[in-house]
Amino acid sequence: MSAEVEDNTQCKACTGTPRYRQDFPIDWEGDHYVSRREMVKFLTLGSFLLTVANWVTVFAKGMIRKDSSAVQPLGPAGDLARQGSMLFRYPTPQDPCIAVRTPRGNLVAYSQVCTHLSCAVVYDTAKNQLVCPCHRGVFDVDQGAPIAGPPTRPLAKVRIEQRGDQIFAIGLEV
Amino acid sequence: MSISTQGTTLFSAILILVATTVVVQLWLLTFSMEALLRGQFKTLLPAAVASTLLLCINAGLLRYVFRFDKEVQKDL
Repeated sequence: MSAEVEDNTQCKACTGTPRYRQDFPIDWEGDHYVSRREMVKFLTLGSFLLTVANWVTVFAKGMIRKDSSAVQPLGPAGDLARQGSMLFRYPTPQDPCIAVRTPRGNLVAYSQVCTHLSCAVVYDTAKNQLVCPCHRGVFDVDQGAPIAGPPTRPLAKVRIEQRGDQIFAIGLEV
Repeated sequence: MSISTQGTTLFSAILILVATTVVVQLWLLTFSMEALLRGQFKTLLPAAVASTLLLCINAGLLRYVFRFDKEVQKDL
């Protein structure tokens, strides 16, 4: 019995070396050691993957929607009275936008999606501001810049122009 | 200076160079992603070409490391 115990704890061939050392000859530190050569190999593999990812962006441009600069009629200009607003969808039916005729008579349009948490902004006629009712975010109507509340980024601007009596959306400024 | 010490210095230098190029490639990728989402497609191809050139430099350095190892083993 005692010989068996000795057998389990000690290597017969190399006296003085415990059995566990024979089974696990590499130290913990040695197991985690990465040589310079291995590191260079690993970094070169990373470099290859980054290059592949860069080429993917080149070919992925075809997947980005191209109709963001499409011209879309929004309706007669008469529908948008001074200091009034109009809702429309541009460039796709999933993108809500708002057009506003400012008190000065300028025609501006923005994405209706609040840059804070994506609630829909509305036009506050009395204060001449675009307001997000969810968290009281306020945007300047002339530039779309945030002026109060949690939003920190401006609203995406939609380029619109009046041709005759018609209003057209002609592009999106991101 | 022994060949072993020379190799250590050389590989350290190569490692730093390769790490730097990988960081530059990472920056190129983030730049490309931003340009892609912004719709500025003109910068994508030059960024990919630059990334490929950096990969070639890295591959060349790796090949040099392998050749250096082989030569050292031959000498031993």
